[in-house]
Amino acid sequence: MSWLFVLIQQLKQFIVPLIALLIFGQGDRNELWPLIGVGVLAVVSLWQYFTYRYRIADDSLIIHSGVLQRSARHIPFARIHNVALHQSLLHRMFGVAEVRLESAGGQKPEAQMRVLTLADALALEALVRRRGHAPANVGDAQPETGTLLLQLPPAEVVRLGLVSNRGLIVLGGAFAAASQFSPRLLPNMFERWGKTLFGYAGSHQFDTAQYALAAVSFVLAFVLLLRLLSVALALLQYYGFRLDEIGHRLTVERGLLTRLRTSASRRRIQAWTLREGLVHRLLKRRSLQVDTAVAEQHDQPQRGLRELAPIATAPQCDALIAHLLPRAQWPPDQWQQLHPRAWWRLALPGVLLSMLLTAGSSWYFGPWGALALLWLPWSLHSARQHSRRAGYVLDATLVGVREGWWSRHWRFAEIDKLQALRWTQSPIDRRYGMATLWLDTTGAGALALPLRIRHLPEAQARALFARLGTEIARRPLRG
Amino acid sequence: MHAPDVSSGPPTGSSAAADPWQPLPARARLLFVLGGLTLAIPFAIAPAVLAEVFDLTTPWLVGPFGGLLGAVLGAWLGIKQHRYTWWLLDDDGFSLRRGRLWRSETRVPESRVQHLDLKRGPLQRRYRLATLVIHTAGTRHSAVTVPCLDEGDAERLRDRLARQVDGDDD
Repeated sequence: MSWLFVLIQQLKQFIVPLIALLIFGQGDRNELWPLIGVGVLAVVSLWQYFTYRYRIADDSLIIHSGVLQRSARHIPFARIHNVALHQSLLHRMFGVAEVRLESAGGQKPEAQMRVLTLADALALEALVRRRGHAPANVGDAQPETGTLLLQLPPAEVVRLGLVSNRGLIVLGGAFAAASQFSPRLLPNMFERWGKTLFGYAGSHQFDTAQYALAAVSFVLAFVLLLRLLSVALALLQYYGFRLDEIGHRLTVERGLLTRLRTSASRRRIQAWTLREGLVHRLLKRRSLQVDTAVAEQHDQPQRGLRELAPIATAPQCDALIAHLLPRAQWPPDQWQQLHPRAWWRLALPGVLLSMLLTAGSSWYFGPWGALALLWLPWSLHSARQHSRRAGYVLDATLVGVREGWWSRHWRFAEIDKLQALRWTQSPIDRRYGMATLWLDTTGAGALALPLRIRHLPEAQARALFARLGTEIARRPLRG
Repeated sequence: MHAPDVSSGPPTGSSAAADPWQPLPARARLLFVLGGLTLAIPFAIAPAVLAEVFDLTTPWLVGPFGGLLGAVLGAWLGIKQHRYTWWLLDDDGFSLRRGRLWRSETRVPESRVQHLDLKRGPLQRRYRLATLVIHTAGTRHSAVTVPCLDEGDAERLRDRLARQVDGDDD
């Protein structure tokens, strides 16, 4: 029966184009030729599936695969960073799961078992958990029941939907698909909207206030739709979210239809990000993410363990961090301030932007364009607020920064997990006697927030740089 | 320059004897200049294209002129880059200092070195130079490139940095 899943998975990517071909094709038999290619591909993948075998040795997993060119791959359990179980609705109906084992780096999973019964999959996960960490006492019965660290009831998942902008992706995708389907659809829709609005307005002689009302209501409707979509998506992806700690590993389970279960060792966490946006603050919530060394990919962004707490109250987040980083002190007692003039340096891009904006708009709109100058006090004020709240902390185990005013974040890492350090200074920084420190960690994606202490007093930056350099050199690289 | 700061940027010249920071070998300057000359290409093409599109003058006039300007600028930048690059190896690891206006110093602790690359182009071989690339497991600064080191220095650095004990037993 399990070959069925392989076949379905293989055919899934061809189904839509094939149907499109059949429906929109001109009835020309030649267009069915691609079917042969699809058939060949399906047979090859089935053959590959039937030659895929795995075997469990003492301390590693051995995988035999290949059709003509046979290969045997040994994966030591200790090198497996991440175990991911994936169950689509179909998988769940038959009580099976897809298992991916990931090591650090690398673009592909180390091993991918397309179909295992759920019991086998969980047994494999437990095996990795035991062998990877307690090779000495394999015989000992380790406690298999974990402790629950965080669970999200549906109300929290709805809140998660409210703070996230996931709906935007769906909306964008829908627009893209719609314009693929019929290129004139979107322009026509916009045209009709414009006609109703302006035609109606023209016949009734709307005044400015009513115009504004119409525009605002339109924007509100759009925002509402976006939020609804986001909530729906959040429910789909995060329904029944729970974070467990089993032995040394953290396990996350989530999903309404497709269930996902990923687990990674606590030790493999490289850096932490705590975020609090504007909507977060209104709902009195934060979100906690971690980086692991498993490389992220664009097409499969949910491979690694990433979100420890998609949404939780500030005390919950702090308790979670304190529990997982017992040697560090979180939240820190005191944050170190940046350079006293850091606010001015932070305001500089905004000031330059507002100058350019004013120049551009005065040239275009005449004297009224000078209104853009109002941006200037705002950017100064926000830079001031930002620098008042920004700061860094460094103790025996942890280094961290906090930044932001409207939307705040805290980013921190254990000193053991730091890699290279960089100290930079621009001419303006030198003028004011400041410098910036960049701390590099493993597994931070290209879009991740940098772990960087900006605009420190220069002497402090020097001292920190030297201290961290010797600290890191003394500590061996672990995980 | 405003306040003369001793802490950043090594003293150039006077107290060179006690200075642990190593400059690049003088013969590497030529390679930096040659590398800078490639700036002539965009400087030649951009005004030529602009002239052609907006029909200002003949591109054959502004192209070579822009190219010349780019070459001079590139060569000058190359000389500056060469002069303001220093490296340092101590008990804890490796440091690289670059730049004069925009200064940076990169520190790679010895315990964080993952692997090392030594590269030699044809010209570098001729002048007994080599480029050392130090890789860490990081992301943003995972590869630290030291261009045009003396060949002997580069090999010593590689051997020394590769010597670290791999304590990752689990």
